[in-house]
Amino acid sequence: MKNIQIILNAILSKDIFEYLTFDQNFEVVDSSAGLVKYLEKSPKVGSDILDFLPELVGSEEEIQEIFSKPHLNYVLESVYKNDYYVNISIEHYDVDRLLVLIHDITDVTLTQQQLLQYSNESILINNTLQNILDSQNALLFVTHNNIITYTNEQFMHYFGVKRMKDLQRKNLKIYEYFDSSLKSYEALYERVNSKEEYIVINKDTFILQATIVESSHTLFTLTKVTKLSNEMQQDTLTGAYKKSYFNTQLKRLINNKEEGIVVVLDLDDFKLINDTYGHQAGDDILKAFVKLIQDNIRGNDIFARWGGEEFLLLLEHTNIEHALKKLESLRTIIDRYTFKHVGHMTASFGVACKEEDDDMHSLLQRADQALYQAKDKGKNCIVFKKA
Amino acid sequence: MIRKKILLLGDFSVGKTSLVRRYVDGAFDDKYLTTIGVKISKKLLTLNGEEYEMLIWDVEGSTPSKKISLGYYRGASGAIFVTDVNRQETLDSLADHKEIFLNENPDAAYVVAYNKADMLSEVAKEKIELKDDTFLTSAKDDNNVEALFIRLMEKMVL
Ligand SMILES: Nc1nc2c(ncn2[C@@H]2O[C@H](COP(=O)(O)OP(=O)(O)OP(=O)(O)O)[C@@H](O)[C@H]2O)c(=O)[nH]1
Ligand SMILES: [Mg+2]
Repeated sequence: MKNIQIILNAILSKDIFEYLTFDQNFEVVDSSAGLVKYLEKSPKVGSDILDFLPELVGSEEEIQEIFSKPHLNYVLESVYKNDYYVNISIEHYDVDRLLVLIHDITDVTLTQQQLLQYSNESILINNTLQNILDSQNALLFVTHNNIITYTNEQFMHYFGVKRMKDLQRKNLKIYEYFDSSLKSYEALYERVNSKEEYIVINKDTFILQATIVESSHTLFTLTKVTKLSNEMQQDTLTGAYKKSYFNTQLKRLINNKEEGIVVVLDLDDFKLINDTYGHQAGDDILKAFVKLIQDNIRGNDIFARWGGEEFLLLLEHTNIEHALKKLESLRTIIDRYTFKHVGHMTASFGVACKEEDDDMHSLLQRADQALYQAKDKGKNCIVFKKA
Repeated sequence: MIRKKILLLGDFSVGKTSLVRRYVDGAFDDKYLTTIGVKISKKLLTLNGEEYEMLIWDVEGSTPSKKISLGYYRGASGAIFVTDVNRQETLDSLADHKEIFLNENPDAAYVVAYNKADMLSEVAKEKIELKDDTFLTSAKDDNNVEALFIRLMEKMVL
């Protein structure tokens, strides 16, 4: 009764069902006339049902159980048979017979297939694009509606992020590096537009190119050119930047009214080392110290030597909480490091955060005062001085 | 005649359909037509004098976020896990595919295909470490496809 109801309902709802019944020996008892279109040949009474429905192979035991347990059923969805897609379900008919219902779902499945095809192909194209972008040495990024939507690994690495999400949260405005009066990537494109322009980002100079890809996306290419000029900006002993370079960067930050954090770092009791172990030992320690810091800051942080054993660090695109955490980790790294000649060394940090009415002098002065407080507190610590 | 059900499992577009097509029909198509649901093909073969009918289930591509109907796994005696050797993410998901399948069929046999090997350079090929019952295959160049199916069948019945 239940099955007839299902068939009736199906016909009423214009669903297309065909059926077949088989006995305990898995031999065909009867079938509907329309069934043959799904099968390779027409099911003769008494023939093995697995010849017609090989999809049941492996599930014989499970199906056998339905003879004795009418509440059980067996369902197999989206099976491709003879150019049709069907759902196959098997139900109890009576103690000697099971009913196989074949439900034609070709139309809806073909629609789903097209969607799946489209989605799979998009993912593949997306992957290929990403691989092409990553294979380039230059930093690449693509914008759409004034938002960076793609970048290559090199770009993320340069700006110290791992994922697109983090990058978008950072809200980088590359156009402002080019000209602080620019307001959008579109404006940047207008300015660069198939020419080659120079752009300075933090310590590096790049050649900037822009190309429209499809009407709504713009591809920007940043090719680094500054190896030589960077070397001229570096302190010859340690490889840290020169104070003059730090100054130009700090000046840029203040002029452009950007946020930033200035840190003055000082190796504790360094004079004593120089006097006890000699200048060569002192030089070795300075070099090791600079390398430790450089290895543990982001590519666009600016680390410079102020003179003697005093250093400067300029951190942008961060906030004071993150910066203090970062500095604490630097302090620990130094504290745990074994320096040549002397072993244990420590450093003190003075920190100031740029406020609206700061100029270069006031900002540096505040960081320097913070450093003195750190020394007073017993060294090997970090002091942040609010304005 | 003994009938055995085997499955081809793996991420989308790794070449499951192409491997079946190569093995059963001896043909290959460059065009990609994604599989939805499942298509079953038959293949007869004789091992040690015994005749078998292999029922090869070419299942639609799956990933951890897009699972396939558990019903497909029921009653399988074996599986071929297929990856695209040129796409790292398809190799990374191998462990997931194995886990889901073996969970349903703990005693089933399996082999692994690193497919599309024709796209690798000779140098790249040498760098690939092949564990037991892992085959570098090409449905396109008909490389190792038969060996892959036969090895699985041997593991299932011998
Ligand atoms: N070069 C090369 N291409 C292959 C090989 N095998 C498959 N392809 C191609 O890869 C694409 C996907 O192949 P399919 O066999 O449809 O992959 P599938 O795993 O069945 O994909 P889904 O059904 O979507 O999960 C097609 O364009 C094939 O022509 C191979 O061995 N070498
Ligand atoms: Mg397929």
